[in-house]
Amino acid sequence: MALSLEVRKALPGFTLDVAWEAGDEVVTLFGPSGAGKTLTLQCLAGLVRPDAGRIVVNGTVFFDGARGVDVPTQRRRLGYVFQGYALFPHLNVRDNVAYGLRHLIASARRERTREVLERLGLADLASRRPRELSGGQQQRVALGRALAPDPALILLDEPLSALDLPLRQALRDDLRAVLAEWRTAAVLVTHDFTEAYRLGDRIVVYEAGRVIQTAPRAELLWQPASERVAGIVGIRNVLHGTVLKATPDRIQFSWRGQLLEAVNSPSRSYLPAPDSALAFFIRPEYVRLIRKDRGSPDPGHHMNLMQGRVVGEADFGTTWTLYVRLDAPGAPAQGEYDLEIEVPRLVYEILDLARDRQWQLSIHRGSIHVLPSS
Amino acid sequence: MDFFPLWLSLKVSVTATILTVATGLPLAWVLALKRFPGRDLAEALVVLPLVLPPTVLGYYLLVLISRQGAIGRVLDAAGIELAFTWRAAVLAAWVGSSALFIKAAQAGFESVDRRLEQAALTLGRSPWSVFWSVTLPLASRAVMAGTVLAFCRALGDFGITLMVAGSIPGLTQTTPLAIYDLVQSNRMAEANTLSLIAVATVALLLMGIGRLARLRF
Repeated sequence: MALSLEVRKALPGFTLDVAWEAGDEVVTLFGPSGAGKTLTLQCLAGLVRPDAGRIVVNGTVFFDGARGVDVPTQRRRLGYVFQGYALFPHLNVRDNVAYGLRHLIASARRERTREVLERLGLADLASRRPRELSGGQQQRVALGRALAPDPALILLDEPLSALDLPLRQALRDDLRAVLAEWRTAAVLVTHDFTEAYRLGDRIVVYEAGRVIQTAPRAELLWQPASERVAGIVGIRNVLHGTVLKATPDRIQFSWRGQLLEAVNSPSRSYLPAPDSALAFFIRPEYVRLIRKDRGSPDPGHHMNLMQGRVVGEADFGTTWTLYVRLDAPGAPAQGEYDLEIEVPRLVYEILDLARDRQWQLSIHRGSIHVLPSS
Repeated sequence: MDFFPLWLSLKVSVTATILTVATGLPLAWVLALKRFPGRDLAEALVVLPLVLPPTVLGYYLLVLISRQGAIGRVLDAAGIELAFTWRAAVLAAWVGSSALFIKAAQAGFESVDRRLEQAALTLGRSPWSVFWSVTLPLASRAVMAGTVLAFCRALGDFGITLMVAGSIPGLTQTTPLAIYDLVQSNRMAEANTLSLIAVATVALLLMGIGRLARLRF
């Protein structure tokens, strides 16, 4: 599967202008609501006609604004799982799944329907109507209906948003397994980063009708292309310092009166000039608290040392989030605090964090991520 | 007593209803789903027969289908006589009842979730196939209700029929016209019987609509 998409579509008060490519993988379109993700899927499926652009799937040109090519939806043969599933309410599960198999002769159609129902564990529900099914079952039927004609590419619009939270997490992994098992390339739309990350091999980040980054999922999490991507992806502790010295391997900078050192990425060759502003982020779970009962800190192990005080905390069940204000003059970087730190519940209890509020912190230079200015 | 008017009314109403559904279905679909210039005018024209006095409607219709009329001349050349035949009664019933059917069917088509039709297209079905397998079945209650309403209206037409088909006993005299005639000539018992049958038929059909409205997917 190879997909290349370039689409421009102007609507009142909103313009979609995006271009991205995908291969044999699950791509998630991620971004806030109203960023143009669903509109992109509709253009891909031929349900909405772009003003300009080009859409090519597996060498077949579906749309080419310049040459006036626009293949109608029914001849694109893409699977489409709609938000809320859009199952046919007047047909039972079997007939819903068989709906896209009209091109087969009756016996082949029955055989394929049976196979799909079997593989998705829907055989027992074959005679039920959609309204008699739970949300999770409806999702399976929608998947089965879209997968039955064996499309080269399946499009999924917020496939989990109609479900309650606990079920949603279970079905997220379930969906991942189904997509892997059916070896179908997929484009999936979601506004939930956890979903985008769990389901997508590759993530396309949308904001206000534009793509602001396309990257393999791990890269997105560790090397967001800009502060805006970091913000949309939900990265915490996005901070601003001043460059002291930058080399291809290291960047030294000052922040809140502290001298910090971060690993630079040679591949990005980002070398900001001294005294220029620098954005960076520190993942809350990578800030270390230095134990007071373990003797003096080893300078070779602990780096980027800071002193601070826990000024607030939040209990998330399995983890605690601590809000730390540094012992440095001036206003804290994030309102009442400078850093957000996440510790497992066990650590919170062992270190007696409920009572002991004054701590020495350390952040490995590999855990400070510099954001290229956008 | 003479039961010919009942038989004629049945024949006229069934034929007119078939005509109404056949012509009204595509029109209702277009009005429900398509945006085109002149759409407001088309909607107004569809509703017009509901509010115009039947005699006015009948008069214009007669002007059109009489031998000198635009349609009548063409039909005359083809050797077809329309005015003052039972076919004119069908025409009258069709004109009188189409609006009821079209508005009901249009509302039915409008209430179908467009995403269901889109889903059907993505599954490789042509728009024609999507209409018959998704749009129409999902709008079927409204379409059925519209059909029954149109049939009842056709059964009860008086004014338009009188103008274009006359009230020729044994030829174009439908039940409502026959009842009027019977009352005029003071044959109350027969008028009573015909009226009762008409009321019972329509009441049964309307009860049928009530049942349809409760059907759910």
